[in-house]
Amino acid sequence: MNNIVSAGENAILVYFGNEINAALPKKIGNFANQLKNTLSDVVIDVIPSYTSLHVSYDLNKINFQAFFDKVESLLDQQDSNNSILESQTTHIPVYYGLDVGLDLERLLAEKNLDLMSFIEIHTSQAYLIYAIGFSPAFAFLGEVDERIQLPRLPTPRIKIPAGSVGIAEGQTAIYPADSSGGWNIVGRTLLDLSLNNPENIHKFRVGDKVKFYSITRDEYLSNGGML
Amino acid sequence: MSFKVIKSSFLSTVQDYGRLTHGEHGMSQSGVMDEHAYAWANHLLNNHFNDAVIEITFGGIVLEAQTDTFIAVTGANLDFKINNKTAQMWHGLQIYKGDVLSWANPKNGVRAYLAVKGGFATEVLFDSKSVNLREHIGAKLIKGDVLPYKDFNEVTYHFISPKYIPNYNQDITLRILPTYQFNDFSINQRDLFFNQNYTITNANDRTGCRLSGAPIAIKKERMISEGISYGCVEIATDGLPIILLKDAPSIGGYPKIGTVFSLDLAKLAQRQPNTKLRFELMSIHEAQKERRKFNDFFEISF
Repeated sequence: MNNIVSAGENAILVYFGNEINAALPKKIGNFANQLKNTLSDVVIDVIPSYTSLHVSYDLNKINFQAFFDKVESLLDQQDSNNSILESQTTHIPVYYGLDVGLDLERLLAEKNLDLMSFIEIHTSQAYLIYAIGFSPAFAFLGEVDERIQLPRLPTPRIKIPAGSVGIAEGQTAIYPADSSGGWNIVGRTLLDLSLNNPENIHKFRVGDKVKFYSITRDEYLSNGGML
Repeated sequence: MSFKVIKSSFLSTVQDYGRLTHGEHGMSQSGVMDEHAYAWANHLLNNHFNDAVIEITFGGIVLEAQTDTFIAVTGANLDFKINNKTAQMWHGLQIYKGDVLSWANPKNGVRAYLAVKGGFATEVLFDSKSVNLREHIGAKLIKGDVLPYKDFNEVTYHFISPKYIPNYNQDITLRILPTYQFNDFSINQRDLFFNQNYTITNANDRTGCRLSGAPIAIKKERMISEGISYGCVEIATDGLPIILLKDAPSIGGYPKIGTVFSLDLAKLAQRQPNTKLRFELMSIHEAQKERRKFNDFFEISF
């Protein structure tokens, strides 16, 4: 059963569950899509996250109660709609090397793993996109194998280079732009996710999947990778 | 048709109503911090409600007009002068080629708004002209920048009756809607929140405003991240409130006790550190009624 609460004078929050669950992102992503299509005249924006969907609406056109009722009735007919999006998987090349993986050496030591085994574990599954946030195009991916999970750094780094791939407990992610952050950095991708290319904001969508594959240092460098 | 930046300042940026439709992509709302002063600045020139302005924080910037045009300056009194002579605020003004506009230092309030007839014609990025430094979208104004504006064919000399011009030196009460985890906070926690005077701290920028006061005992420190509304009030691990503002991240994982009414956030945007602040409950019905009236007056519609 869904639970809807007010999130402000022109926003509501729809909860799809109380716990993180791999079945939710797809469901929430689809409902977001359906809402935008069906109530396009009043919906301003949607923010899907792990278990919820934040929806802002035009209070000039519809009041809280009327909007609440519309969303609730849409939720009731959710399964009978045809706006279901197909899941897409994006494949992303990563150079896993000690020279770009700032925390890799420590992680391997703490987890008693060699580099090959680590790469095997990190690249073996297609990660689900649970949420996008923190900064533009920053996708929270899960669930990371327990054998390579580490908590965030006690003190965040001032600058993590764009493209860095990090792990924080059960989550992994790519930093789209240079930024501060406390995730354990294990590699770097060549993929440009910066806002210099405006299309990049469409690269990730909640409910889609991301699979990493390993490239060598030579492949990384010869394609323009920086150390 | 442009202004030239003659002298840089602490923080002056181009802003419009905001980047409202990209929360899905992890972007902040961005946009002006004081919607009241902003709406008046454009209104005084018969501009569109979403026209871009310059948000000048604490002053320091100096601009030179490259052509004749009309402007309006609203918001904080930052010692606004034209050619070194004190100039009128909250008033449509004609200026001439070569005029030098300056804002030397803050006298009352924090942020001034410079609107130009027709709006500034800077680059539209992700459906908005608003600069967001945290997201590397645009940059703050520096010496040598050129700020283009649009042509216009109609002149206006609107002004505001002085009795409607806000005084930004007063302590404030922020009206807040019971939203998000409001019901998860106990009666005791809510009493403590509503019955104390908080103080605005120095940790206070376009992203958020941190308050000091008596901490609220927290039972659940972190929760699953969820979408953030402009003005929602997080209770951080230390039990103190942070009011999330225009440049806040799109999602966050602290419990939220409510969401401040947008037009009270406009008042907050003009308060300096050490100002006393209280919270008072407001109903969604009341908030929507008041905001709708504001939107109708300033012809704000999406």
